[in-house]
Amino acid sequence: MDIEVTQDSEISVFVLRGRLDAVSAPQLEDRIGLWFEQPGTRLIFNLEGLDYVSSAGLRVFLTSAKKMKTRDGKLCMAGLRPNVKEVFTISGFITLIPAYDTLGAAKDAIR
Amino acid sequence: MVLNMFNDRRDTCPGGDPVRPGRGIAFRLSFWILLSVIGIFTLVFGYYYMLSRDLIVKKIEKQAGEQARGTAARIDTVLAATQKIPENLSVVLSDLPFQEEKKLFGLMKAILARNPEIYGMAVAFEPYFRARNVRHFSPYVYKENGGIASTRIAYDYFSWDWYRLPRESLSPVWVEPYFDEGAGNIVMSTYSVPFYRSVGKRREISGIVTVDISLAWLQKLVSDIRIGETGYAFLISQKGTLVTHPDTSLMMNQTIFDLADERSDSSLRDIGSRMTRGEAGFVESRDVLDGGEPCWLAFAPLSTTGWSLGLVFPRGELMADVSRLHRLTLFFGAFGLVVLFCVIIWIARSIIHPLRLLTAATQTMAGGGLNAQIPAVRRHDEVGRLAASFAAMRESLQTYISDLTETTAAKEKIESELKIAHDIQMDMLPRTFPPFPQREEMDVFAMLKPAREVGGDLYDFFFLDDDHFCFTVGDVSGKGVPAALHMAITKILLKTKAQQGLPTETILARVNEDLALDNPSMMFVTLFLGILNVRTGELTYCSAGHPSPYLLRAGERVNPLPAENGMALGVVDDFVYRFRTEMLKKNDCLFLYTDGVTEAADVHCELFEEERLVQALMELKDKDLKSIIEGVLERIEDFAGNAPQADDITMMVVRYKG
Repeated sequence: MDIEVTQDSEISVFVLRGRLDAVSAPQLEDRIGLWFEQPGTRLIFNLEGLDYVSSAGLRVFLTSAKKMKTRDGKLCMAGLRPNVKEVFTISGFITLIPAYDTLGAAKDAIR
Repeated sequence: MVLNMFNDRRDTCPGGDPVRPGRGIAFRLSFWILLSVIGIFTLVFGYYYMLSRDLIVKKIEKQAGEQARGTAARIDTVLAATQKIPENLSVVLSDLPFQEEKKLFGLMKAILARNPEIYGMAVAFEPYFRARNVRHFSPYVYKENGGIASTRIAYDYFSWDWYRLPRESLSPVWVEPYFDEGAGNIVMSTYSVPFYRSVGKRREISGIVTVDISLAWLQKLVSDIRIGETGYAFLISQKGTLVTHPDTSLMMNQTIFDLADERSDSSLRDIGSRMTRGEAGFVESRDVLDGGEPCWLAFAPLSTTGWSLGLVFPRGELMADVSRLHRLTLFFGAFGLVVLFCVIIWIARSIIHPLRLLTAATQTMAGGGLNAQIPAVRRHDEVGRLAASFAAMRESLQTYISDLTETTAAKEKIESELKIAHDIQMDMLPRTFPPFPQREEMDVFAMLKPAREVGGDLYDFFFLDDDHFCFTVGDVSGKGVPAALHMAITKILLKTKAQQGLPTETILARVNEDLALDNPSMMFVTLFLGILNVRTGELTYCSAGHPSPYLLRAGERVNPLPAENGMALGVVDDFVYRFRTEMLKKNDCLFLYTDGVTEAADVHCELFEEERLVQALMELKDKDLKSIIEGVLERIEDFAGNAPQADDITMMVVRYKG
């Protein structure tokens, strides 16, 4: 699991690569926790490089969405691969966290 | 080296301290140090030996050269004085008319009487010089019985060397020495000088004046020369004849070249050549007398006679002092080496002794005796520090082991608790198959394989009334104890709500509300819930974010049930779930599973995926329920190989028999 955070004006982009499972989820959770110590309100998960997400991984997105909701910010995902998108669809979380095909579209949506 | 000692078991018997260096430190230390010292000593000694030898040889060369030249000069002085007598007489004979034999004899006798070194003298005239009828005329006086006798040489002397050589060269000549047998039994040599007469203005040779000189005095002089105890001198003539020599049998008998031929000694021949050529020199050689002992030879020519004086310096004798000194040095060196060896052994043993004790203590510790006595080494060197480190190591080992014992106990406690928790969790699931043997309308089989002791998967089934069979499969996010606690809550909530006779979507809505009520850690549950009317085959079902079950129907492909994607439970408290219905035909099966099945990974992190599951179900769908589930599990395990199970695996099959 490889996490890279970039900043585009007020939007933070978390670029995730590899597998997000029970082993790597705490790593992402810590990183998100750090981010939430800052006052940002715009967050995009770029999942173009994400091969796999497990239920433990889903929980991290869910907690992020909940925290973002409490500070009245906006959170979305971009570039989901079909298998990852399926996981989000089946679990119903796709209705909680909007998903866009491209990073550009995601940025336009939350700007 | 320490390793070596450790390996040598005989060295490590506790208490015993055998004096047996073996190939241990003492051996190596003494071997290499002694080897180096011997090397250094040999180099120094060799250099010192060469240096002292060279110095002595130089000194001897100088001394030998001086002695040879000095002795030669002394002999020359005497011979030069002797030469004057016939030379003076020849001048007298040239100028004065001494035809009268009587007067000539008188003069010769007078000269002989005044010169003790002269044995005899002759004045030999040219043929027919005295009278036309007298061919030989040669008055000769010589010493006999303490007096002086006179005679005339009667033999034809003109062809003799003493006459012929100076006559031909018209200059004075020393004739090769000879042994005068009969006359005095002594070695003699003759010096011949030609004399002349003036006939008108012409100077004409008239004869030869000779003096016979006894060489006894010369032999005595040369043989009196002593060099050390065994050194000696010898004299050779211009032809190489040994004029004087300690071995009298060689005297006048042999030349130096004869000796060289006898011994096939070419170096002696070279020396002979150089001596007869009148050179002076200093060479290393062997004893000229017998060709044995090594010696140095100094030689110098006699300028008067052209003979050569040789001085023999016996090497062994002259080097005796130096050799003794060298032997002493060698002895002290060897003694020093022995002392050094003892000192090394002593030092090595003082190091090794505590090391051996430490080794024994370490072995006891290695065998588990952590309370072994560490020998007290009251030293402040490396060995002392090693002993201190050993003691410290033992202490930390003891601490570590006691900590480890505690930790292990705690871990065992947790493990035992987890084991109990596992049993409790498994007991919460219905595990008796077939569960409803009297029911012929349907059958069910299920299994749950947790990835750890306890897991977050759940399944359940029960009859709500005579006709309605309720079944469910769910998956709590995460694994382990937190997931297991959540699983237990969900299972109880679900059964409670279901038994109230509510429809599926309402059951899920109520359970969702309760779970979402206080859920800061955002634990969520995906779940599939179905209620089958076993009388009609009508299936009402509802999904909360869970993968749809597969419908196994005779003669059709294996397809998932069409589903409304509801939100996972515990996330959104007021989520509205929707239900669907499906009419099951006789012998239709429903295969329910959690993502532990499709996301089982092999060693390359490749997932089992839905395709492989569908393939397996196609092959297995006509078998009995237990075989279907065991068949799928077998395929998953074959696929995963050695990869550890990452997630809980749960499967359930429900068959409607009509």
